This record gives sequence, structure tokens and C-alpha cells, in this order.
Amino acid sequence: MTNGRVLDLENVEAGYDLLQVLWDVTLHVDEGEFVALLGPNGAGKTTALRTIAGFLKPLEGDISFRGRAIGGAPAHAVSRMGLGYVSESLNLFPAMSVNENLQVGANAVRDKARIASTMDLVFQLFPRLLERRDQLAGTLSGGERKMLAIGRGLMGSPTLLLVDEPSLGLAPMATVATFEALKALRERGVTILLVEQNVNTTLHLVDRAYVLEQGRIVLEGTGAQLLRNPHVQSAYLGI
Amino acid sequence: MTTAATNLRPAPFLRRYLTFTWLTLAIAAAIMVFEAFANASLVVNTLVTGGMWALMAAGLAMVFGVMNIPNFAHGELFLLGSFTAFTVFSPIQDALFDDPSLTWLKVFGPIPGMVVALAVGAITGVLLEVVLFRPLRRRSRDQWVMNTFLLTAGVSVVAINSYRLVVGNDFHGVSGYWIVPPVNVAGVPISVDRLMVLLIAVVTIGLFALFLQRSRLGRAIRAVSQDETGAQMAGIDLNGIFILTMAISCALAALAGASLLFLFPAYPDVGLQPLYTAWFVVILAGLGNIPGAVVGAFLVALLQNLTIFYVGVGWVDVLPTLFIMLILLFKPSGLFGSAVKGVWEQ
Amino acid sequence: MATHPSAWAALLRANRRRIALIAVLVVALVLPFIPPFTGEDYRRWLVGAAFMAAQAVAFDFTAGYINIVNFGFAAFVGLGGYTSGLLAVELGIPPVIGMVVGGAVSGFVGLVTGALTLRLRGIYAAVMAWFVGLALMGIVRNVPELTRGSLGLAVPSLLDSPENLPYYYVILAMLVVTFGVLTWVIRSRFGLAFRAIGQNLAAARASGINPTRYLVINFVLSCAFAGWLGGFYAHYYGILTPDVMLTSHTVEVLAIAYIGGRGSLWGAAVIAFPLSIGVEYAKVQFSTLPGVHLVLYGLLLIVVMIYRPGGVAAAVRSFDDWLERRRRPAVAEAPHPA
Repeated sequence: MTNGRVLDLENVEAGYDLLQVLWDVTLHVDEGEFVALLGPNGAGKTTALRTIAGFLKPLEGDISFRGRAIGGAPAHAVSRMGLGYVSESLNLFPAMSVNENLQVGANAVRDKARIASTMDLVFQLFPRLLERRDQLAGTLSGGERKMLAIGRGLMGSPTLLLVDEPSLGLAPMATVATFEALKALRERGVTILLVEQNVNTTLHLVDRAYVLEQGRIVLEGTGAQLLRNPHVQSAYLGI
Repeated sequence: MTTAATNLRPAPFLRRYLTFTWLTLAIAAAIMVFEAFANASLVVNTLVTGGMWALMAAGLAMVFGVMNIPNFAHGELFLLGSFTAFTVFSPIQDALFDDPSLTWLKVFGPIPGMVVALAVGAITGVLLEVVLFRPLRRRSRDQWVMNTFLLTAGVSVVAINSYRLVVGNDFHGVSGYWIVPPVNVAGVPISVDRLMVLLIAVVTIGLFALFLQRSRLGRAIRAVSQDETGAQMAGIDLNGIFILTMAISCALAALAGASLLFLFPAYPDVGLQPLYTAWFVVILAGLGNIPGAVVGAFLVALLQNLTIFYVGVGWVDVLPTLFIMLILLFKPSGLFGSAVKGVWEQ
Repeated sequence: MATHPSAWAALLRANRRRIALIAVLVVALVLPFIPPFTGEDYRRWLVGAAFMAAQAVAFDFTAGYINIVNFGFAAFVGLGGYTSGLLAVELGIPPVIGMVVGGAVSGFVGLVTGALTLRLRGIYAAVMAWFVGLALMGIVRNVPELTRGSLGLAVPSLLDSPENLPYYYVILAMLVVTFGVLTWVIRSRFGLAFRAIGQNLAAARASGINPTRYLVINFVLSCAFAGWLGGFYAHYYGILTPDVMLTSHTVEVLAIAYIGGRGSLWGAAVIAFPLSIGVEYAKVQFSTLPGVHLVLYGLLLIVVMIYRPGGVAAAVRSFDDWLERRRRPAVAEAPHPA
């Protein structure tokens, strides 16, 4: 790992069959950082995460994770390298219990002790999940499912966790709980790249952030800097 | 694995008669079953064939649930297992004929045939996935279910007729696996072959269930059947799971064929009845539902044997079809609910 | 004056599909007079080919437009045949009427099957149609008092002639009717509904289309034509056994429909001729190898499925597109997004 850089995107272009979504995207995440990727609907934030996670092959540019090039590597391989991904649609296993969902999350982990301790961590962070340990994932509430998705992502003991819009569709209380959990994770030293539409809360939480608009990075800076930024203020904070 | 939510309800006008109809059917069924069970061989046949259909149906359900492939060549795996067992066991049968005093051969003789059949089945499954399904998957996932359906129908036709060309139409069977006098169970003599088949089926299904429920790989397979993206996010290699799934499914079908060799000799069309029955079980129980398939297999075996007992062998295709149409009327997702991923209606 | 030749050329080009179809029809009409099809044996092949073509068209109407594989198709054909045959044998009803009744009966069974299963995923309809087919075959086998079972039911002929030629023209006419009617339906609002359902079920529902109703209409039409054609089969070959309902016959029809091009009725109709005749030829060449023609069908189907899922029709269409592009160099490129 060169100078603690966990994730490095350089001039990445990505998109789907007839539609290019990302243009010349350059960003990085260093060890221990909590970085956000912000922007309006349709900007390409989810596409960016999907490309990093290996679900989409970049058209141009380089992506490296812990010094290794991963652009174009298949998703399961990227996951095994230690890059956890919590998708917007969660992709839980509805007919499996909370417990089993978490166990599957640890599929690539050999050390039983580590699995057990990670599961303890998950239940500490999300006591609601412990209560519903044997309940089928398909019957959980929206907030609980988000928690489970994050928990499952953690089970792989990832070096970097990508989280896509955790607050989407959640009631305010659940949103708070989710952000609290992310804060706690950050305090434990987990590196996080977060995609969010909820700009205000996010900027108060993170170290740095990028603003993505129409597939291009238009701004970057620390949370504090961006909170003071006039464009951010007018476009996203309603000031 | 239990039912996924279904939003399909039986046609409204029928719901009024639901309870009454169920009651009548249940009573009629109970009477018939009670009468028929006075006949012990019916019970044994039901258990034996039920066990075999369970092996066939579980594999079929698994491939559909995990890979979304309706395998129409599944019956040919039965034929493959049957013929493999025949090829391996024939020389052993001859040796026993020449020298019947070889007890160890008598006891363990049939085993190699079944083991080799398992292996051959597994290898064939792997080949099917690598040579046919993976290239198709790479090209397009459009109309996947129908395309693979047709693909496997083509494979079935090629397999049956190639077998006919190479081996011929003759029946290749064995007189029996374990040539020992029948065992007395509650005063009824039951052939050891049938008992062993039942044992094999129960043990195999048990191991398979344990594997799926308790092991890491088994969990991974179930995960893939529920959400492929989620499975990849957990580091699961889909291609590997697909190979494993096909291998297991085909191995189970081949084992069914191998162990039933004394009942079903190897000949080109021998796989058609197991294919039909396996599909029948899977549709009746609910597509993709593996535990349902196992239970359903015994139900269907009972249904078939009752039909044979009361009506006649020729009607064994007809009455069950009418029965299943009735079931689909009231419970479109099958008796135990379907467990398929993706869109309910395509 | 200078514009006239190019105006004609433009007219021809615009109607090139219709012209091609008419050309194919003309070829089919004169084929019996071109050696080797002047011989009775070969004319028998022609009858068989046209029969396969008509079946493939009826089959593809369902498979290609509502994405349902009627895996019991051969049984619906056979049902029509047995209906018409039995009506003729038992009640003396003339075959022409019997064939229509056969179509109605098959259509009705298709209605029951479809109504029950078309609300569900396509695979249910495919497998249930298969079960229905097996059940029908079982019923026919098990009432030999009526159907003569495997011994075969002798059925009176459609025409008095012992020659194949008139039968060929009859089946050709039936092919044209089948193709014409089904194409007309495709072009009508029904066809629009089929495609809407196929592309976006939820949107179709929201537009007020009841998907099940259209799916069932399609299925019933296909089965009805199958039954009608089955009547022809009965009164041409003169003998019916339950084996006409075998699944392998469905696979033959299916293979032709697919190789011709799923969703292309003309593709199925046209490709049936070379394919069917080719297979008959292979059967003769390899008469010592029974079932080899089925192996060929199967392999072709597999190869087409994996490598050319669009079938011959798609190949023809892309060739046609290529010709068009050559004639008229690229129109404005699609605007760059963003």
C-alpha cells in the first residue's frame, strides 16, 4: 500500500451500453478516512460505486485498491480482496435469517474466531438485529434491512467499505441510527466511502467529500470547506 | 427455505367453494389411501419410488432455483446413471454367477456401479455448464429461461438418439443387485434391493439437506439462488457455484438411475418417465422449492401408485395431470410455495 | 422522365419484403414441377415440408410473440387429427368440416390450459402444456375401443386422388391461410398488445391491457390452427397412432421455428422447406442409423440457440440492413449525451 492510499481512481470513464455516465473521474480514499461522494439524482454516484466494486467494467482509466489494479476485475474477486460493498438495493437474501445473511457475508473469511468477533461487533452496532437474529430477512423493516446490509458488508472484514445511500427511504429516526453506526465504524478505524444525497448531515460527518454532477467531479474538499462553499450551499443546502 | 411472498390468488369466484372442495378432496383422499394401505406392497412401492423421485426432483428444483434453468435433459442423466451402473455391475454380476460364494462381492458388489454413476453424473453436469450454459450466459441473459429450456430440450433429443445409435434399443438390466432372500418386515416380504434403494435415497437426501443447510458452500448455493448480486458482494464466485450446482443435480439424477437399475433397465427412453415425474413434482410443490420437492416426491409417488392401483398403469400420466391442474387453480404457486428469484411473471 | 426508373426502383425497394414473400410462394407453387420433385416420393417430402412449415408458423405465433413455448404442441395437432378422424369414421362427417371441428376442439383445450397457467410465469404454461400433451397421449392410448390406440386408427382421405400433388396444394393453401391470418393478427391491435406485454408487463397493465386475456387469445389461436392442421395430417396419411403426439415431434417443429427465427413467421415458414427436405434426405442417406435426423435437429437447435439466437430471419434482416446502409451512407450520427 503506497502512502496509506486505499482506493485510487484516475480518469475513470464508465457507463452502460449506449449511455456513458462517468467522465474523467479522479478521486482517492486514504486509510482510515471517511469520504463521501455527493451529488444530485442521476449524477452517476451509484455507477461509480458499482464500477469500483467490479459490477461494471470501466471504459477508460485506472482503479487501484491497496495498490493493486482492479479495474475490470469481477465483483466477487474485488470483494475477496477486502472491498466491502453495501448496495443501494441492499441485495439481501430474503429467505435466509439475519444470522444466515451475516454468515454468508463472511463467506470469504477462513478464521472462525474473526467471524465470531465481527458478528459480535455487528450486533453491538445494531442491537435490533440481535433481537431478530432468527427472523427471515425478507420480513424485516426498511431500517432493519439497511442495518443488516451494512452488517453483512462488515462480515467480510473489509479494508474499505462502500456504502450506497444508506439513508434512502428511511424515516428520520432510522437515518440517525444508521449514521451513528457509520460514525462508530469510523471510530473503529474502518475506511468508508459513502454515497449520499443527504448533503448536510454527511458533510458534518465526513473528513472529505467529492461532488459529482452529471458524471464529473466538480468539487472536492474537506467537509468543513464544502459546507462553506457557495455552490454547495445554494444547490444542496438551500442557503 | 420457506415460501416467498406470492401475490397471486385463485380466481375470485372459486374462493367461495375453496373450503368445501378441499374438505371433499381430503376425505376422498383419506379413504382411498386407507384402503390402499391395506396393501403393503403399495406402501413399499410408494416409499421406494418416492425416494427416487425425491433425488430427481431435488436436483431439478435446485438447478432451477439457483441457475434459473429448466432442465429438460434431466431424464437423460437418469439414463446415464442407469447405463453406467449396468456397465460396471455386469462383470460383477457375472463373477457372482460363476462363484456365488464370494460374500464380500455379494454385499458390496452393487456399490461401485452407483459410485461411478455419481461421478459420471457429476462430470456430465460440469460439462453441460461449461460447454453450454456458460457460453450462452456470456452471450446474453435475455429470455434466459426459455432459451435454456429449449437448449436442454435439444440436448435431450441429441442424447436419447445418440444413445440409440451407439448402444441400441435393447434393454440392459440386471436381475437384481443383492441376490438374497427377501426380508420380512411386519410379516410382509420386501426385497432387499428395494430396502437398499430406500436407504440410499434417505441417506443421500439427508446428507444433501445437511450440506445445504449447514455448510458454507451450501449456504453459498442458497444465497446465489436468492440474490446473485448479493452473493457476489459476499465474495461468492457465481461460476463456481453454477458448476457445483450442476454437478450435484446431475449426480443425484444419475444415482437415481443407477440404484433403480433392477427396476428400470437402461434403454433409450427410460429417462422420460423420471423426467416427467420430476417436473411434475417440482411444479406441484412449487418451482425452486427444494424441501417442497422432497416432500412432494413422496406425495406424487403415492398419487401414481394409487392411480395404478385403482385405475391402471396407462392412466398414470393422465390423472396426475388433472390433479395438478386442480391444484394450480387454487394454489398457483404450488402446494408449498415457489421460491424463485427475480420477477414472478416474466 | 429521368425520375421514373428510380421511382419504380424505390417502389420495389419499399415493398421488397412483400415481393420476396410472393417470390417464395411462387417457387413453392412450381416446385413440384422441378426435378427431382416431379417424383411421387419427393412430392411426399414437399407435403411434409409444407405441413412442418404451417405448424412452425402456428407454433412461433406463441413462442415468438408472447414468449411461451407450447411444449405439448404435437398433442394439440394430434388432438385435432383424432377429432377429425373419429368424426369421419364414427359419424361420417366430411373431413373438411371435421378438420375445422378438430381445430375448435384443440382451441378449447388450449383455452383451458392457457386460462389456468398463463397468469403465471411462462415456464408454467410451457410445462403444463407438456403435461396436457402427455395426458392427451395417455388418454388416446388408453381408450383403444374408441381410438384403436397403438394399433392405429384408419382415417378416410381428404381427397379422392391417390397422388400427392393435390394434397400439396391443399396444405400449401392451409399454410398461406395460417400465415395470413396470424400475420394479420400480429399487425392488429392484438399484436401491439402482445409486444407491449412482452416488453413491459407493468406498463401494459397500466395502459389498461389485461395481459392474461391477450396471452390466452394468442395461445388459443395457435392451438386452434394446430388442431386444424392435425386434421389435414389425419386425412392425408390416413392412419393415426398416439405417437403423433410425442414430444419429439414438438421438438422438430420447435427447432424449425427457432432456426427460422423466433418472432418471425415468414422465417419459420421459409426455412421449413430446406430443413425438412434436408432431414428427409439425411434419413434416407443414413437409413442404417435410426434417429439420426433427430440428432441433427437437436444439434442444430443447440448451435442456433447459443450462437445465432435470432435464427435465419435475423441473419437475413442484418444482411438487408447492411445493403441499405451501403446504398445510403450514414445518416446523422446519434447526438452525444451530455
